[in-house]
Amino acid sequence: MSFFLNYLIQAEIFSVMALSTNLLVGIIGIFSVSQAAIFGVGAYTVALLLLSKMLGFPAAIVVAVVLCAALNIVLALPSLRVAGDYFVVTSFGCQLVATAIFINWSQLTGGASGLVGIPTPAIFGYSTDEPAAFACVSTVILAISCLGFWLLMRSPFGRIVHAIRQDELAVAAAGKDVLRAKVSVAAVSGAFAGMAGGLYATYLSFIDPTSFDIGVSIIILTMLVVGGARTLAGSLVGPFLLLALPHGLDLIELSPTIVGPMRQLIYGALLIAFMMFRPQGIAGQRL
Amino acid sequence: MLYLQLLADGLVTGCAIGLVAVSFSLIYSTTKVFHVAHAGIYTAGGYIAWYAASYGAPFTVACIAGIIGSALLGAVIQSQVYQRLEERGAQPLVLLIASLGVLAVLQNGVAILFTTNMLQFSYPWRNQMVIFGAVGLSYAQVTIVIVSIVVFVVLTWMSKYTLFGQRIRAVASNPFLAEITRLRPKTLFVLVMMIGSAVVGLAGTLIALDQAMQPYTGVLILLTATIAVIAGGIGSLTGAFVISLALSVLQNLSLAVMPGRWSIAATFALFILFILIRPQGLVRAAR
Repeated sequence: MSFFLNYLIQAEIFSVMALSTNLLVGIIGIFSVSQAAIFGVGAYTVALLLLSKMLGFPAAIVVAVVLCAALNIVLALPSLRVAGDYFVVTSFGCQLVATAIFINWSQLTGGASGLVGIPTPAIFGYSTDEPAAFACVSTVILAISCLGFWLLMRSPFGRIVHAIRQDELAVAAAGKDVLRAKVSVAAVSGAFAGMAGGLYATYLSFIDPTSFDIGVSIIILTMLVVGGARTLAGSLVGPFLLLALPHGLDLIELSPTIVGPMRQLIYGALLIAFMMFRPQGIAGQRL
Repeated sequence: MLYLQLLADGLVTGCAIGLVAVSFSLIYSTTKVFHVAHAGIYTAGGYIAWYAASYGAPFTVACIAGIIGSALLGAVIQSQVYQRLEERGAQPLVLLIASLGVLAVLQNGVAILFTTNMLQFSYPWRNQMVIFGAVGLSYAQVTIVIVSIVVFVVLTWMSKYTLFGQRIRAVASNPFLAEITRLRPKTLFVLVMMIGSAVVGLAGTLIALDQAMQPYTGVLILLTATIAVIAGGIGSLTGAFVISLALSVLQNLSLAVMPGRWSIAATFALFILFILIRPQGLVRAAR
């Protein structure tokens, strides 16, 4: 049972991350490979606030959400000036700068060894030490994110956002505020990443820079692409499916040093295979 | 004197990164694929050479093994992945995601075969020093400078003055016209990928000879190189090479004023500012 709950919680956390990435990459067409950096900022913020006992879990999540939303706007800003491949390079750069900061600002982040002993959240006096209780928290947060995503997509604003990806110039010519739409989407995406980061830190009670490096960005992207970009279902299918995969790997005997690279190799192969044979993913729309 | 030595070391590394930049520029300006898997070929080239050397091959033989292996990898990636995708009319985003997948497969394949530990060439001569006035360079560093400059000159000459180079530029500027005038762009793209991959495999081997190699370091090198390609103006081989030198020197000199672990972050932060202020590059107008 705890095995299943562990899987469920992690899949839910990464579903929130996939939704966050979906908004940027799938919906509005900002190809960001620095989502793990925002995820990490959320995780470190919540971890530090809880470790210093300054705030309770709900308040810490709110701080992380606000901070990540603001930061994601800053990271998405170059996309207003530079398009396509140039932005990918900037985004790669942002991710590497973030990793360098996580590793090197050791007074704050604990450096390469990370932060340990992050307390499990207590919500209005109820402890969530039990995995079942934590699963409730993560399910609620995922439900809120899904609802937010769904409402956003079927609103008039959602239509503008879809239109921007297809023809930015036409949207601007129709008198819609492209800048405001992009900034808002980046903010919502950052907020999702902040929540996911906070959940991740409190659930594992241990974080280090390798949990938020470029490899993780690519894994999140893989989840999105395999599940299918642009749809709500895709962002849920991808993480649940891809996180089941490592458990499958546990069944074969592999030396522990190989497991990590092997998993990433399979993710890479999946990326290629899906792009070649089913670019819309399992439950998505055509890329 | 410290500054002179840092300057010299920067120029040496810059030469090798220049090769990565020039080869990336060649591929990018011809095939229009943002070929991030180039970093994977860089890594694979170094490891193939190391593998040959571990069987007692002299450096030239090991180098040639690395070059041939890389060129073959490049040909396979172009003909089996990029070309098939393009025949299906895939968006640049789809190609980019597939390329990220190839990168993950190559890097983790290397990690599985050779472990993630640092590897070094065991040639005793590579650390022998040559003294030029106040500056000392190892044999490995001298090799890098000579080989890099020769390869750079040959590549520039090839692209400017040979019939083959003219074909490349013709296809790059108008693939459709090239197709109907029977310049056979598909064959040409494979050839360009082979040349680019051979050069980047050589760069990987050279840097590994001077320092050491690990499976995941290629991304950082490629990122520096793409920055040089963009800052130098897309399509300009000289621009890419010169900016690589400048970036590397800057990064080395910054060691005198800040700890090494921050200098990489500083370089990328500088680049992000640069791309915001001057997205068209230093040398040529934006495309």
